[in-house]
Amino acid sequence: MQLTRAEILERLKEILISSDAVPPEICDACNEDSDLFTDIGLSSIGMLYVVIAIEEAFHVRFTGMGVSDFRTVRDVINHIEEHLS
Amino acid sequence: MKKQKSRIFGLEYLFYDFVKLTAALPGLIAFRPKTICENEKARKKIRGGAIIIANHTGFFDPVYLLMGIWYRRQRFVCIKELFEGKRGFFFRHFLCIPIDRENFGLDKLDEITEHLKNEELVCMFPEGRINQEDGIASFKSGMILMSLRSGKPVIPVYIHKRAHWYERLVLVIGEPVNVCEMYGPRPTLRQIEAASKLLHEKEDELSKLKRR
Repeated sequence: MQLTRAEILERLKEILISSDAVPPEICDACNEDSDLFTDIGLSSIGMLYVVIAIEEAFHVRFTGMGVSDFRTVRDVINHIEEHLS
Repeated sequence: MKKQKSRIFGLEYLFYDFVKLTAALPGLIAFRPKTICENEKARKKIRGGAIIIANHTGFFDPVYLLMGIWYRRQRFVCIKELFEGKRGFFFRHFLCIPIDRENFGLDKLDEITEHLKNEELVCMFPEGRINQEDGIASFKSGMILMSLRSGKPVIPVYIHKRAHWYERLVLVIGEPVNVCEMYGPRPTLRQIEAASKLLHEKEDELSKLKRR
């Protein structure tokens, strides 16, 4: 599966909206520099939930990583891109 | 990991069973545990995999749970700091599962889920710390994710703190809560938090049962 960074970001936004934890306007406004915890407002359980959803949506594994290893949306996209390639 | 049912005998259980057997008699004499069940469903013996959650008021709460649910082996979820140094030997050999509170990883979630799928009991204290204040502190929602991934129920247990050494230890066992049945296999994050709140309320109800 080959996806551009913009496509990955769009799918991440969809995941965030479907989680029902983040208001849609915040999801729409988020970009690669957005901080997952301060800008988007994810809690640690929220982050864990999103990571599980990402695993299922992109078929990537987050082996040996914790929820705090990701700070920004860019970190998540980098990880997904790395595994997809 | 290949799915396997929990075994009756096994080398990994040797230390656990030895400690449990040798501590049983002094424990029963000292605490004289009494179990109260919320209803008929709670009265049934726990079979198969399940997550036991309890309030956490002291270091000996795991011991109380072992005495209350004596007929099953229990794996306790503990902070990784307890596994350091010499005391770590005990926790490593007592079927405990270390977790990093600051940086919880998916690997750990998978490990706990695997234990549950292998029909084992996993015990945790969702308050996340020893709570010496009155009442029950808010719950962390990790247990709900574990329950959802494994499809196993959550069983709330309330441990009544003894006011005097001569009082009996009282444990109130609640009815199993199946999160999958309540919200389906893929609930939203809001529903997960609602399930966590519901279990907190349930725990609060159990705390009042002794007084009836």
